[in-house]
Amino acid sequence: MIVKTLLAALVAGLIAGIFMTAAQELRVVPLILHAEEFEGKEPATEPPAGNEGQQQHSSLGRSSIIGDMLSAFSPITPAYAHEGEHEDEGGIMFGMSRFSGTLLANLVAGAGFGLLLAGASLVFNYPITLRNGALWGACGWLAVHLLPAVGLPPELPGFPAADLHDRQIWWIATIVLSVAGLYLIVLRGEIAAKIIGLVLIAAPHAYGAPQPSDISSPVPAVLGAEFAVAALATTLAFWIVLGLVSGYLNDRFLKSA
Amino acid sequence: MATTTVSSVPLSLNDRITAGILALLIGGFLVFGAGLANSAVLHDTAHDVRHAYGFPCH
Repeated sequence: MIVKTLLAALVAGLIAGIFMTAAQELRVVPLILHAEEFEGKEPATEPPAGNEGQQQHSSLGRSSIIGDMLSAFSPITPAYAHEGEHEDEGGIMFGMSRFSGTLLANLVAGAGFGLLLAGASLVFNYPITLRNGALWGACGWLAVHLLPAVGLPPELPGFPAADLHDRQIWWIATIVLSVAGLYLIVLRGEIAAKIIGLVLIAAPHAYGAPQPSDISSPVPAVLGAEFAVAALATTLAFWIVLGLVSGYLNDRFLKSA
Repeated sequence: MATTTVSSVPLSLNDRITAGILALLIGGFLVFGAGLANSAVLHDTAHDVRHAYGFPCH
């Protein structure tokens, strides 16, 4: 029975992961690739002088053509140039293409989020069904994406950011507090519980997310805005698919057991 | 299937908590690996996904 419950969550996550890959390739990945063209350049604080600027543009054009040709033969695209910061060698696992890396990561993340959703449902003793699946998904999206995004909006490559470790700690803490807060607000009847829930959700934002000291960026702001909306929209769709498929599988296979 | 009343999952309390914690641990491990692990290979493989989900990256 335990195995069946976990399997249902796993399958739902894999299905949602495949769906998410399609959604990302349509809207999110093109924006990431576009932003990477600006990554690593000096922030455009002042427009470059005429002649110099043209040279920069022409050399950029040439290198991106070479880059396109290289990427046709190499599994590792030049877009990963920022990996130079790391000490160990980067590169995509098993020499896969960028797309299969994305698909694999989506499958793993989808399965992970599916299991987390099922785990929350089991611990809270409130089953996911086809009827409430979309709401489960929406709450998952609120806790994992929208509420953390208030302090740390989805970043494009090349965006200024505070220390990675600090941001990861804040991000995880915000998710944990948001889940606890949503549980108190949504699944508990008492007024006091709902108020405590609101306080828990607001607490990390009152504390404040780690922010970079210098916010100048070489990536155009319009791209950042488009990307933030695209990332939040696709993750919302992902979570609703995940919740609905989890609910369907639970209705179909667990009740009959 | 016509009666979709919300009933508790047919698991005993012990089984439910065991399954729940197991699911949270495995799920957390998978999400950590895909989204947060500080390994260059994992980072590069999951790069676009990390950005797309809004994981703190770089």
